[in-house]
Amino acid sequence: MRAFRVLRRPSFVAAGEASLPTSRGWADGLKRYTYLLMLLPALAMYLAFIIWPFANTIRVSFYNWSGLGPLDDFVGLRNYTNLFDRAPINRQFSNALGNTVQVFLLSTVLSTFVGLMFALILSRKVPGSRLYQALYFMPNTLSVVVIGFLWNLLLNPQYGAVNAVLRGVNLDSLTRPWLGDPDFALPSIVAVSAWANMGFPVLIFLAAILGIPSDLVEAARLDGASEVRIIATIVIPLLWPTLITLIVLNFIASVNTFELVFAMEGSEGGPFFATDVLGTLFYRMAFGGVGGAYAGTGLGGAAALATLMLLIVLPVSVFVIIYQRKVSHEY
Amino acid sequence: MSTRSDGDNRSPLRHRSLGKLAGSGLIQLLLVGYAIVVVYPLLIMVASSLKTTGEIFANPLSLVPESIRLANYVEAWNQANFGTYFRNSIFVCVVSVVLILFFGSMAAYVLARFSFPGNRAIYLLFLAGFMIPVRLAIVPLFIMMRDLQLLDTLWSLILVYIAAGMPFTIFLMVNFFRHIPRDLEDAAVLDGAGPFQVYYQIMLPLVRPALATVGLFHFLNVWNDFFFPLIFIRSENLRTVPLGVSTFFGEYTNDWALMFAALSISILPVIVVYLLASRQFITGLTAGAIK
Repeated sequence: MRAFRVLRRPSFVAAGEASLPTSRGWADGLKRYTYLLMLLPALAMYLAFIIWPFANTIRVSFYNWSGLGPLDDFVGLRNYTNLFDRAPINRQFSNALGNTVQVFLLSTVLSTFVGLMFALILSRKVPGSRLYQALYFMPNTLSVVVIGFLWNLLLNPQYGAVNAVLRGVNLDSLTRPWLGDPDFALPSIVAVSAWANMGFPVLIFLAAILGIPSDLVEAARLDGASEVRIIATIVIPLLWPTLITLIVLNFIASVNTFELVFAMEGSEGGPFFATDVLGTLFYRMAFGGVGGAYAGTGLGGAAALATLMLLIVLPVSVFVIIYQRKVSHEY
Repeated sequence: MSTRSDGDNRSPLRHRSLGKLAGSGLIQLLLVGYAIVVVYPLLIMVASSLKTTGEIFANPLSLVPESIRLANYVEAWNQANFGTYFRNSIFVCVVSVVLILFFGSMAAYVLARFSFPGNRAIYLLFLAGFMIPVRLAIVPLFIMMRDLQLLDTLWSLILVYIAAGMPFTIFLMVNFFRHIPRDLEDAAVLDGAGPFQVYYQIMLPLVRPALATVGLFHFLNVWNDFFFPLIFIRSENLRTVPLGVSTFFGEYTNDWALMFAALSISILPVIVVYLLASRQFITGLTAGAIK
C-alpha cells in the first residue's frame, strides 16, 4: 500500500505540469493511473491473507499466547527450544520429524523413481500410451482425504480388499493389519500417497523425455547402442533437471503431509505415533491440545513449529527456482 | 525416424528377436498391472457401494453385487446431507475461481504491461507465495477470521482460496500476456480506451484458453481441499464435500455399505468429469511445472 503512495506523488506533479488542475486534469491524472487500481484487489487480498498471517506466525512464535488477549508475554526462543528439550513435546517432535523424513525418502522411491520408470516405458511407442497416461493420472484429481478414507477401508485387516487379494493368491503369510502395525503403517500410507500422486511425475517426465531431440537418440541407435545404454547415457542425464525438480516438489509435499495420516490414522498419527508427522503434530499443537497434553506450549508453540517447517521448505524451494533458472539459461 | 532408408537396414528379425518379444511382453504386463492397481480399488468402491455390508464382508473382491442396492446411496445422501455439502462446495468453488481469475489476470496484465517502480518487487512477492505452504499460516488466519467474525462461514474459505490462488495465476498469466503482441492494445489506446477497457475487451478474450487451464487447476484444488474447512467450519450445514465425508466416516464406522456409497458420491462426479475432459485436466494440472 505504501508503495502506491510513493509511486503516485511524482505522477500528480507531472500531471499538474501538463495541464492546470482543472477537473478535467484531475480526471486525466486518475485515468492514467487506473492500472494501479487494477493491481489493488489481488495485492490487497494477498497481503492481508497470506503475507500478513505469515509475518504474524513468525511474530507469535516468540510469545507465550493462548490465542486470547494481547500478545505481551515475550518468551524469546523458548517455544523453539521447547521442541528440542521439553517433554513430552520434544519426543513427539523428533519422532514426527523422523517420520516426515521417512515419508520423503520412501515416496521419492515409490512415486518419483517408479514414475520415471513408467515414463521411460510410455515414451516408447507402446500401444495405448495415451490411455495409460490418462488412467495413471486419474487419482491426482481426487480429494486426498477421501482417498485416505477409501484406502482405510481397503486396508482393513478383516474385511479389506488388500488382504482379501493376498488370501486369494495364497499369500496368507503376507496379510497383516496394515494400518495397525507400527512397522507397516507409515509405508502403507506412503504407498497410498504414491497411488494418489504417481500420475504427476509420469506426465512431467514424459513431457521431458519427448522434448529430447530425437536425432540424438537416433544417432546412438545407428551406432548400435542398446536401448538400456541409450537410456543410461543419453536420456537420464538430460532428465536430471526434471528429476531434481520433482524430488524437491516431493520434498515440499512430504513436509506438508497431513490429510492422508489424518484420514487413515487420526490426528494422533497412530498406532502409537508411528505415523505422526510434522503436519499432524502441528495440527494438534494449534487446534487439538488446548489445555491438554500440550498445556504451556499454546499457539506460540504451534507457530514456532510452523516457522521451523517454513525454514525447512524455503531454502529448498529457493534452490529449485534458482537451479531451474540456471538450467533454462543453459539451453 | 529421420530417413526411410535406414528402415531397410533393420531386418524384421532384429525386431522380433525373442528377447525383444519377451521385453515388450513384460512392458505390457507392467503397464496393464499398474492400470489395474489404479482402477481396481475404484471398481471395488463402486461395487461395494451397491452391496449390503454383510455381502462386502463375505466377498470384498467381487465386482458384481448379488443385487444392486441403490438404497445405500439414498440413505448416505440423506443421512449426511450430501445435497447441502455439494451446494456449499459448488458455491465456494465458483465464487473463488471466478474471483481468482478476475483479480489474478487483471493484476497479471498490469504487471506484464506497465512499468512503474516496484513492479518487479511486487511480482517477486507474488512468486514467493509459490514456495510457502499457506497452511503454515493457519494460526494467525484462524485468529483473524475469528476477529472478523468470519469463522464458520463459507466466506472465510473463499477469502483464503482467492489469496492463495494469486501466485500461480499471476505467474502463468504474466507469461501469457507477455507473449501477446502489443499492436492490438496500441490501436485501442489510440482510440482512447482506458487500461481496464483494454484488459477487459481486448486482452481477456485472447487469453481465454489459459484462463480455462488456470481455472480448472484452481477448481480442483478448492473442490478437494480439506484442511481449511476442517479448521474454519463448525456448522453441519456449512460443510464442503470432503469435510462432510470425513465427519460421515466418524459417525458410521461400522456401516461399510454406507461408507462406500458416501465415497462413491464424492469421487464419481470428479471421475466422470475427468474422463470427459482428461486432456484439459492434464494440461491444467501440469501447466505450472512445465511452464
